[in-house]
Amino acid sequence: MRAALAYEWTRIRTIRSTWWLTGITVVIGLLIAFGVSWGTAVEVSQHPTGGIDDVRLLGPLVVTQGAAAGVPCLIGFVLAMIGIFAWGHEYRHGMIRASLTALNSRGSLWVAKYAVTGAWVAVVGFAVMLVAGGIGWLFLHEYSVPVFTGRTWAVMGRELVYLVVLAWLAMAFTALTRSQAFALVMIFLWPLLVESLITAILTLVPGLRDHADLARFLPFQAGSRIMDVAQQSHSIFGHPVSALGGFLVFGGLGAVLMACSWVLLHRRDA
Amino acid sequence: MATIEARGLGKAYAGRPAVADLSFDVRPGSVTGFLGPNGAGKSTTMRLMLGLDHGAGTTTFDGRRFSELQHPMRHVGALLEANPFHPTRKARNHLRMLAAANGIPDSRVDEVLGQLGLTEVARRKPKTFSLGMSQRLGLAAALLGDPHTLILDEPANGLDPQGMQWMRQLLKHLASQGRSVFVSSHLLSEMALLADHLVVIGRGRLIASGPVADFVRGARASTVLVRSPQAAKLAELMQGREGVDVEPLDGGLRVSGMDAEAVGDLAFDHGVRLHELSTQVATLEEAFLEATSGAEEFFAHEPGEAPVRAPQPVDRPQGGVW
Repeated sequence: MRAALAYEWTRIRTIRSTWWLTGITVVIGLLIAFGVSWGTAVEVSQHPTGGIDDVRLLGPLVVTQGAAAGVPCLIGFVLAMIGIFAWGHEYRHGMIRASLTALNSRGSLWVAKYAVTGAWVAVVGFAVMLVAGGIGWLFLHEYSVPVFTGRTWAVMGRELVYLVVLAWLAMAFTALTRSQAFALVMIFLWPLLVESLITAILTLVPGLRDHADLARFLPFQAGSRIMDVAQQSHSIFGHPVSALGGFLVFGGLGAVLMACSWVLLHRRDA
Repeated sequence: MATIEARGLGKAYAGRPAVADLSFDVRPGSVTGFLGPNGAGKSTTMRLMLGLDHGAGTTTFDGRRFSELQHPMRHVGALLEANPFHPTRKARNHLRMLAAANGIPDSRVDEVLGQLGLTEVARRKPKTFSLGMSQRLGLAAALLGDPHTLILDEPANGLDPQGMQWMRQLLKHLASQGRSVFVSSHLLSEMALLADHLVVIGRGRLIASGPVADFVRGARASTVLVRSPQAAKLAELMQGREGVDVEPLDGGLRVSGMDAEAVGDLAFDHGVRLHELSTQVATLEEAFLEATSGAEEFFAHEPGEAPVRAPQPVDRPQGGVW
């Protein structure tokens, strides 16, 4: 297992895409933090009440780039691309045979890929949130707006869980299809188009309206609830689902896809 | 030093056998060539040996399967395809990655890069490499763990004549150190210079295995040239012998199916005067074409004709071992 971890650790650091995707994540995270913090600072400086309903939400909003209020987690999708490339490069460039002659245990390779990519995503995500919070503090501390509250740290933890699950889900999807191009398209189309279409159909088609609230179980909609602290939930699978409910749905899908990718990696020819 | 023992290898695609009940040995201290027409199952066999493809049979390296080897690159070095690396990962980093999985220090990476003449391009991306340089990088990966066994699929692809000569010398040198070198190639002239032993397959089945010299000598294309003032009498003596063909030449005969000693003895026994008795050995290409005739996966077709699948080969002895 140590050999597989060493292999993956070297692999992820020696490919350029890891670094430019990490760079894009940092830039996006910090730009959004800057924009939100600056806008809030201007608002609070002009109107001390600022029309802000709950000032305690500002910290989570700044560090999660809005994901705490239900905004799609952009840095999560960029970091998921590192996961897509983790398996995608194996099949796109025929590396899988080189990998499996260097590491003759498919199980070890599988575990190492998810572990190292998950760790990379978690560390980068945490660093971005931390620096984003720092930017928020620089702008807002003079207006006595708290940024690093207990709630903020809790939401940071939840976003870390979401980032890792999203990356693993993207990895599993790539491993299943053995196509990074298909996985890249799906990781954006599914939440942005497919789930929106299903929600629209459930809402607009007369015979289905009674079931419109089922849309809360769509994986990415449920997943976004993991970090969403703006909308309160009263039960795990209520409407909306709670953070735990969102994790169970979103993480459950990820776990199923990962299990399928494990089975197929062992059954398929390399 | 390790002996490769492949036993009962088999693999079918959609019910159609690609490799069937294939068994052979590769001995240390020699280069064993792996020959077969296109689509004969050479690459599939190599993948089966390394556990990359699922199928029947077992392959052991000094008694252990590939999956049982700790740090496999220290035991078996493999080159299975032309560009087994990411095009933008620098050559040295590619080798460092493989080395990390096998507890091999970076100093060995630099050593192998030097051995393969890649030091100057070590920090370049392989997407800028020529096919020959790519092959060298693949070979560097195979040699990284200083393994006792090498499995190389078409390593001469893309090499210029100097590169091929260099590779030939390298593989012969590695074999002379007691390693087992198993190498496939469709370049028969190259294989004739490189290999000590051969494993020949057709349609996934073993056709022959043994020393190259025996394979060539056993081919019907190897003939005995006889010049004699009594050629007609000698021809008459040989006619009707099983497996012997006699072709009249101007002032002599071309005999296949008998060696020179047997022809000489026959002539002596019957008082036939000989002016010349010489053996004309078939080339490896002639012997290979003879051995694999009917075992091609596809036949070439004349212009205007549709390509056709080769007919099933006629019954022939399988797996001849000398």
